[in-house]
Amino acid sequence: MAQVHLQIQGISCSYGAEPILNDLQFSVQKGELLGIIGPNGSGKTTLLKAMGRTLKPHLGRVFLADQDIYRLKAPEVARQMAVVPQENHFDFPFTVGEIVMMGRTPHLGRFQRESQYDRRVVEEALTVTNSFHLVNRRITELSGGEKQRIAIARALAQEPDVILLDEPTAFLDINHQTEILDIIRRLNSDCGLTVIMVLHDLNLASEYCDKLILLNKGRIYALGSPTEIITSENIKTVYGSRVLIRPHPIHGRPQVTLLSRANLPANTVAGPRIHVVGGGGMAASLLWELAQANYQVTAGVLNIGDSDWEEAKILGIDTVEAAPFSPVTAKNCRSNLDYIKKAQWVILAPIPFGEGNMYNLTALQTAARRGQRVIVIERIPIQERDYTDGKGLLEYKRLLDLGVIRVADEEEALKLLAKEGQSP
Amino acid sequence: MVARKKSTYTSLLLLATLLLMSIVMALGIGAVTIPVVETVHILAQGIPGGSVLPFSSAVNIVPSHRDIIIKLRLPRVLLAVLVGSSLSVAGATFQGLFKNPMADPHIIGVSAGAALGGATALSLGMRFRYFGFSAVPLFAFMGALLTVVLVYNLARVGERVPIMSLLLAGIAVSSILQALISLVTYFSDGELQKIVFWMMGSLSGRGWDYLILALPYCLISMAVIWIFARDLNAFLLGEEPALHLGIEVEKVKAYLLWAASMLTAAAVATSGLIGFVGLIIPHMVRLLLGPDHRILVPASALTGGIFLLWVDILARTALPPLELPLGLLTSLVGGPFFIYLLRKRKDALY
Repeated sequence: MAQVHLQIQGISCSYGAEPILNDLQFSVQKGELLGIIGPNGSGKTTLLKAMGRTLKPHLGRVFLADQDIYRLKAPEVARQMAVVPQENHFDFPFTVGEIVMMGRTPHLGRFQRESQYDRRVVEEALTVTNSFHLVNRRITELSGGEKQRIAIARALAQEPDVILLDEPTAFLDINHQTEILDIIRRLNSDCGLTVIMVLHDLNLASEYCDKLILLNKGRIYALGSPTEIITSENIKTVYGSRVLIRPHPIHGRPQVTLLSRANLPANTVAGPRIHVVGGGGMAASLLWELAQANYQVTAGVLNIGDSDWEEAKILGIDTVEAAPFSPVTAKNCRSNLDYIKKAQWVILAPIPFGEGNMYNLTALQTAARRGQRVIVIERIPIQERDYTDGKGLLEYKRLLDLGVIRVADEEEALKLLAKEGQSP
Repeated sequence: MVARKKSTYTSLLLLATLLLMSIVMALGIGAVTIPVVETVHILAQGIPGGSVLPFSSAVNIVPSHRDIIIKLRLPRVLLAVLVGSSLSVAGATFQGLFKNPMADPHIIGVSAGAALGGATALSLGMRFRYFGFSAVPLFAFMGALLTVVLVYNLARVGERVPIMSLLLAGIAVSSILQALISLVTYFSDGELQKIVFWMMGSLSGRGWDYLILALPYCLISMAVIWIFARDLNAFLLGEEPALHLGIEVEKVKAYLLWAASMLTAAAVATSGLIGFVGLIIPHMVRLLLGPDHRILVPASALTGGIFLLWVDILARTALPPLELPLGLLTSLVGGPFFIYLLRKRKDALY
């Protein structure tokens, strides 16, 4: 039976007249690993401060294990909850051991000396954060990643049940990001520590957290599992950016690919219409170049999930799609032919041929016979990409005999289009 | 491994011994040289049961020597120790509170307030005594306390006193007070030299009354600061992290601020403006013993006491019968030594 560890009841916070958080309500279960995400200024850090007893909300209450956190004394809270700030100011040359020992402060009376037990807790906190070897080093000499581990070790020395972290991976390189988050996840799964952390990186948040809160303008926009929260609709609404969401190849959690504005073709496409026959990633760069040059591009037949298909999706290219790893249906073939017919130019990328996509060659032969301008890119010799025991080779030769334009590579094709393409 | 090094305790013991030895030696130095053995016996006679020292009958105590030591030198030597300790501990506290190694006891205007009070009393030629205390230290002390109240309340934002606004309010009030000091000095041609000399800092002619005035404030304040030394360590991590370690930040900050201001006020009221000690002694101790305030505070007190004691000896013996201003000598003597320490330990400047 899960137990409520932290309960946030209708809190509103403001700095002066500026409202930052607006009537937030949620609870955190014991042993949960909760991530708080949201754009800059959405109130992530403020929420963490309100939960960490630093910024008292002017409305609402925060309960830590059934007790109003703002009615508890600071040491009482510090014995249950530790906070790792975003930036650590280690300006004075304490040793690592001394810094981590400061985590014992809430457990020690004013005149009490550190006991053997306190020293053991500190040593354990250092061991868990892979930092025991640093114990006698001066904190001022450590790298950013090491300092962050020490900050976490100090928090652990408080022996808390819940730990709040404000962007624990900010200012760290990717290797140290995963190192820190692996430590945090291990503390959560092995020691049952309740973890609440603000994260900026959506992919890391998706990968490491059980549950996510997506904040938008001081309100909870969505709350749920990473699969429920990290969707392109949510990201579009809250962050205002277009993204592609794909499951991570290994753990399956949603991963975000940002589609930057610069990469996207303008909405008004004026150039001639070009149909690209691609597949297996052989047309990806060509599709991108064509879209950049403002041609009206279509593509087909591409299998869903194929990298050419992804590229076409990212670029917003009208595509004839087929189910993944499936042979092309008659309907696919018809729409492909339809697209070919509407195009002023048809380009065949240097794709490999198998039994599944031989129809492409037949379709192109039809187009060539009709007198349409077909460009064949011969960057890779056909012998190297024929997987049909010569059948493909035969049909390919047949296509070439129909008077198509043969170019050595994509660059030549683009040059040709630039020169002649303007006249339909 | 995580245990504190034993050597730090040894250092404290060593410093305390050094201070005691310095006091005894200093009492013998001056226009009349008094042997150490005689000094010890004179001191011992003042302590109940002290006369049982070995060979006490063999030591010939000159009666005038007893007067020189008890009435003249002892209060001055003890005051030098007290002022040196107070300024050093105040400096260490302000540096910790402000997380700024450039902070010194004069940073929030306490000294300027004291100086204004002292200068006013001098320029008005006040000669009255109140409960046996003369006007100048009383005025200086009042000036210092009023300044702390003013700065603290100016810096207050609701229930909090942010460190940054404290610093700014202190600087603003300081500069106003500096202007007022200049004004008072300008219109007091008769007492001009006295004021200038007082502001350069001196322990010349200070008797028991000064020591009694300053002692309770200094001892209580130092005790408060030492009690909150662990909290001061946490302050070095920042105010929010300190709060997360269970420290009632605003309350402790007020205690520490008042204690450090009280130390400064007592020091300036009794001895004028003495620079350098409060800034450099805590640095020096931090370089040698590390930043832990539980060690830093008592070690700074001992080191500051020893330092000012010897500088005062120099002030009164270097060019007899002239007395050099103490405030000048502290920088002149301490500066080169500090530079030497910095050059030796280039890795850690503070």
